[in-house]
Amino acid sequence: MRLIDADVHNAFADIKAELRPFLPRLWQEFADRHGIAVPPAGYVSPVGVQREDARPPSGGLAGSDPGHLIKDHMERHGVDYAILTGSHILGASVHFDPDWGTALAAAYNMNLAGRWLDRSERFRGSIIISHSDPQAAALEIERCAADKRFVQVLMAAGSNRLFGQRFFHPIYEAASAHGLPVAIHPGTEGAGTADTPTPAGRPTRYFEWHNIVPINAMAHVNSLVCEGVFEKFPRLRFVAVECGIAWLPHLMWRMDKNYKGLRAQVPWLKRLPSEYIRQHVRLTTQPTEEPENPAHLLQIFEMIGSPEVLMFSSDYPHWDFDNPAAALPALPKEWKERIFWRNAAELYGLGPVTSGR
Amino acid sequence: MKRHPVAQASELPPGGRKLVRVGAIEVGLFNVGGEIRAYRNVCPHAGAPVCLGRVSGTSMPSRVYEYLYGMEGCVLRCPWHGWEFDLRTGQHIVDAGNRLKAVPVEKGDLEGFPLEQSEGTVYVLLPG
Repeated sequence: MRLIDADVHNAFADIKAELRPFLPRLWQEFADRHGIAVPPAGYVSPVGVQREDARPPSGGLAGSDPGHLIKDHMERHGVDYAILTGSHILGASVHFDPDWGTALAAAYNMNLAGRWLDRSERFRGSIIISHSDPQAAALEIERCAADKRFVQVLMAAGSNRLFGQRFFHPIYEAASAHGLPVAIHPGTEGAGTADTPTPAGRPTRYFEWHNIVPINAMAHVNSLVCEGVFEKFPRLRFVAVECGIAWLPHLMWRMDKNYKGLRAQVPWLKRLPSEYIRQHVRLTTQPTEEPENPAHLLQIFEMIGSPEVLMFSSDYPHWDFDNPAAALPALPKEWKERIFWRNAAELYGLGPVTSGR
Repeated sequence: MKRHPVAQASELPPGGRKLVRVGAIEVGLFNVGGEIRAYRNVCPHAGAPVCLGRVSGTSMPSRVYEYLYGMEGCVLRCPWHGWEFDLRTGQHIVDAGNRLKAVPVEKGDLEGFPLEQSEGTVYVLLPG
C-alpha cells in the first residue's frame, strides 16, 4: 500500500549557515550580531523533543540530514512521500518584529528548496509564512507557488487573532489562487506575540501544555467556518497538523446545533457548519488518541462522518512519533486507503512514486 | 374536524398575533401580510411555547461580511433556543426537517391550520 506522511520534521543542521545566504543584507548583519532564533514557547519536554534514536551519524539534530531521514524513516516504514514541516522556524510568525519574521520565513523556503527538495522527489515542501503580516505572506506564497514541489502553506498555530478573521484573508486568497492548502502546526502557543496557550491561562508544564494543544485548533477551525472563509474561498483547504482528532465531532455537533438558532449572525453560511468542516478541513492523525478500547476511536471516525478528513502523519523524528504499522486501530479498507495515502495524494496532488531518488 | 370560533378578524390586523386555547390545545394566530396563519404553540425542537416568540425579520443569505435584512414580519423566533420559523410556511429557515406543527386541512392549505374567516369570525379546525 502507498503511504504518505503528512508531518515530517526536517531540521537545520546549522540554522545560521543555512539561512544567512538567503537573508537580505540588513538581516544578515542582524543575524551576525544577534544570531537567529524564533521565540520559544518555554515548555520543556522531560523526554526531549527529538527522538534519541533518530540522531544522524554525522551528529546534529534528528531530522537534520536528508539522506539519513530517507533511510531512517522513509525506507524503514515504506513512506512514499514526506510532507516536510520544518523545525525551529514556525515561530517566525510570532516575532515581535514582523519584518524579521517574514525575512526568516523566506530564507527558510529558499534553503528548503535547495537543501531538501532538490535532494529527493519524495520530499514535498511547506511554504512557511509569517502570519503576522498577511500581505507579505501572500507575496511569499506567490513567489514559492511556481515551484510545484511546495504543496502547502504552513504557519504557526499560535496567534493573537483567530484565523478566520479578515486580517488573514490575503493569505487564503493567495493560497487558494494557487490551489495550495493552508496548514497550521502547534508549538508556538504562548510564544512571542501569540496569546496564552489556553484562554483560561498558561499551563504549568510541557505535559499539561501538550494535553491541551487541541483547544487552539478548535478555536481556529470554529473561526474559519463562522467567518465564512470557506464561502469566500471555496477552493481553500485547511489542515490542522498534530492537533488531535477526537474533538472534531464535539465541535461539529455544537456548531450545527447553534447554527439553527444563531444563524442570523452569519448569514453567509449556506450549509451546516459540519458540512464546511468535512469538505474543507483536514486533520493529521498523530498523536493519535489511544483510548483503552480501540473501537472507541473508530466510533469517533464514524462520528466525523467522512473518510476524507484524516491524513496519516508520523511526526518523525519527535518523541511522540506514530509508527504507521502500529498507530491506528484496524480500519475498514476504504478508510485505511484514504487515511494512509489517498487523502494526502488528492490534497497535495501526489501520484505514485516514479523514482527512487 | 370541528370548527372552533377563536377570534374576530379585527383582533388580527397585519402583524397582529393572538394566542387562543381550544380545549387543551394552544394555538397561535398570526396575521402575516394580510394572511392569517395558525400554529400549535409547541416548538418541534424542545416543546417550547413557540408562539410567544418575537416576530421580526432576519438576515438573509448574503455574501461574506454583507448583511441583507429581509422577511420583515415573517419570522417567528422561538423563545427557548432562537430557532427561526417562516410564519408563512411554518418551515425552519435553514432546517428543512423542522416545521411548526400543522394539522390536516380541509381546503388544501397544507401550510398552516385550516382557517376560515366568515362574517368577521376566525375559526380553527381541530379534531373533536
